[in-house]
Amino acid sequence: MFSTLFTGLKIVFTPSTFLLITAGTILGVIFGAMPGVSASMAVALALPFAYAMNPVIAIAFLVAVYCASITGGGITAILFRIPGTPSSAPTTFDGYPMAQRGEAGKALGFSLVASAVGGLIAAFAMALISPQLSAVALKFGPSELFAVSFLGLSVLSCLDSGNIVKTLISGLLGLLLACVGMDPMLGIARFTWGNSTLLSGIEMIPVMIGLFAVTEVLKQTVKQKKIDGAEESESNGKMKTVLPSFVELWETKITMLRASILGTVVGILPGAGATIASFLSYAIEKKVSKHPEKLGTGIPDGIVASEAANNAATGGSMVPLLSLGIPGGNAAAIMMTALVIKGVQIGPMLIKTQPEYLASVFGSMLLTNIVMVIVAMGVAKVFAKILAVPYSVLGPVIVMLAAIGAYALNNNTGDVVLMAGAGIIGYMFVKLGYNSAALVLGLVLGQMCESNFRRAYTLTNGSLVQIFTKPITAVIMTACVIMLLYPFVKPFIAKKKEA
Amino acid sequence: MDIIFSLILAIFCVYCFFLVGAESPASTPTELGAAFWPRIILVLMIILLVVNIVNSLKAQKENKSSLLGEMNLGGFFKSKLFVGMILVAVMALFMSVIGFMPDCLLFLIAYGFLLGERRIPLLVIRSLAITAVLYVIFQGALDIMLARGVGPFREFALFFEMLLPF
Repeated sequence: MFSTLFTGLKIVFTPSTFLLITAGTILGVIFGAMPGVSASMAVALALPFAYAMNPVIAIAFLVAVYCASITGGGITAILFRIPGTPSSAPTTFDGYPMAQRGEAGKALGFSLVASAVGGLIAAFAMALISPQLSAVALKFGPSELFAVSFLGLSVLSCLDSGNIVKTLISGLLGLLLACVGMDPMLGIARFTWGNSTLLSGIEMIPVMIGLFAVTEVLKQTVKQKKIDGAEESESNGKMKTVLPSFVELWETKITMLRASILGTVVGILPGAGATIASFLSYAIEKKVSKHPEKLGTGIPDGIVASEAANNAATGGSMVPLLSLGIPGGNAAAIMMTALVIKGVQIGPMLIKTQPEYLASVFGSMLLTNIVMVIVAMGVAKVFAKILAVPYSVLGPVIVMLAAIGAYALNNNTGDVVLMAGAGIIGYMFVKLGYNSAALVLGLVLGQMCESNFRRAYTLTNGSLVQIFTKPITAVIMTACVIMLLYPFVKPFIAKKKEA
Repeated sequence: MDIIFSLILAIFCVYCFFLVGAESPASTPTELGAAFWPRIILVLMIILLVVNIVNSLKAQKENKSSLLGEMNLGGFFKSKLFVGMILVAVMALFMSVIGFMPDCLLFLIAYGFLLGERRIPLLVIRSLAITAVLYVIFQGALDIMLARGVGPFREFALFFEMLLPF
């Protein structure tokens, strides 16, 4: 185990590799901060550079781009409410309100430190217990994955305690939108009305960008003023990215640890990934927090929960790739392609026969997660300058960036129309008191929930008892039931205590 | 307004419930059909929407407000918000026809004007510069094939693509 650590450090501290990883980190943060350039797209864009490198260095370089892009996504999520990558969407819930209060620097500081801690915990977990983690991941079949996604959905009951009915309707609407297109098991078209474009389903990213970015611009159009409350506007964009003090960080230690472990585990699971990890982590934070009512109003815990989890998922997704030869997500699949092109034999024997790959990935993650804090602070400062721009310029630019982000997904203008529709309908939706975060949560988890439940049903020959009595499933589902009932039972417990 | 929205959504859900059933084969004892999951969601939605309508009606009775609440439809259609929505929709719909560059330029000018910028020459120059920067970053550096449009707009886009150094 320790030889992996030392070999990893030896590889990344070679001057040329060190420079390449730093360059990869800078590229990753910039790509991640650009709306529409997802983490996997960032890795794909960096792929041509990797072709010319030695395979061990190439994987270290691509891992640097991958980890840094996830962190970069949080910058625009906090400053402009545009998630740079889908996994940064929950960061907007608390990051943007903080930025509006003039605490953008502090929000970015928490985001960067949480990202680094999440990434480092995942890197150590990957290096030390990769085979064991893979063995645990292999125990997660469809019923367990259904339980995990249901756990994420169970948070709907307390996402907005002010109007639980409307929040549940919003979540269900998200789940319904996830049903549009080809059925995941039988390939039957649902809710397509004969339109071939709808066969591939409703893309999550345009809806998310529309709901967050376009809705916000429309809100500001009504307000007719510069981006309000931001200290940065008054200081002509001279924002200071303040790293949180040790005391402030210590206050979020449990959240950070919980989000990092959760992110690592979710990252390992096939079909899950950084987006589901960050949503799930935010959802669980909302459930277990001592002050759930404050989440969503702009507190560091929300940012930490989301950012630590999505960065930890990057390390998690490397575990099945290196120990089993199975990519945990899109970015891992692209990295696998790069290695295969280089003639590397990917599979269960890779760690044993060529341990330098695991060491290289570990070393790169270690270095990237430290270097990216400095790099992201610089990039954030550049982006923050934009906050000083009058809203008559900034507002339309945000909409155009959102349009490019939606378009870049499939090079399809249909996605731009979807984004605009989501923004316009989303504005009215939010005005009527519905919850856009709940809708996105439903949309993100919908397909994972449905396909795994139906797969589990088929595998158990239609026995619901068998599905729900599997040990892992039973434990997670029990947790879900407790979480769902807790908001209703809480007042009774409080009354009893008072009595 | 909320009651009307809930009512329309509930009717749509009932329609979808029957539609998805008609489109998909039924479930078997060992395999769930394509309609199973959406139907569960739709039933839950219909129940919750009815609850929401009842709650809203109760609140309306208490507040003695009208079905449309305080919303002024005439005022809405004349508002900046409505014009903003139209501009966003037009920008999205026209991107495939006129291509990214003209679409972006016109949108930046129109929305900037809507947000109160009255210095037209400055607005045009600024919009031109932003369009150029976005085009160079995304089409050039990141190699994202931005929409070209059709007919003369396509020729125009192809001409600019040739000018890009990378």
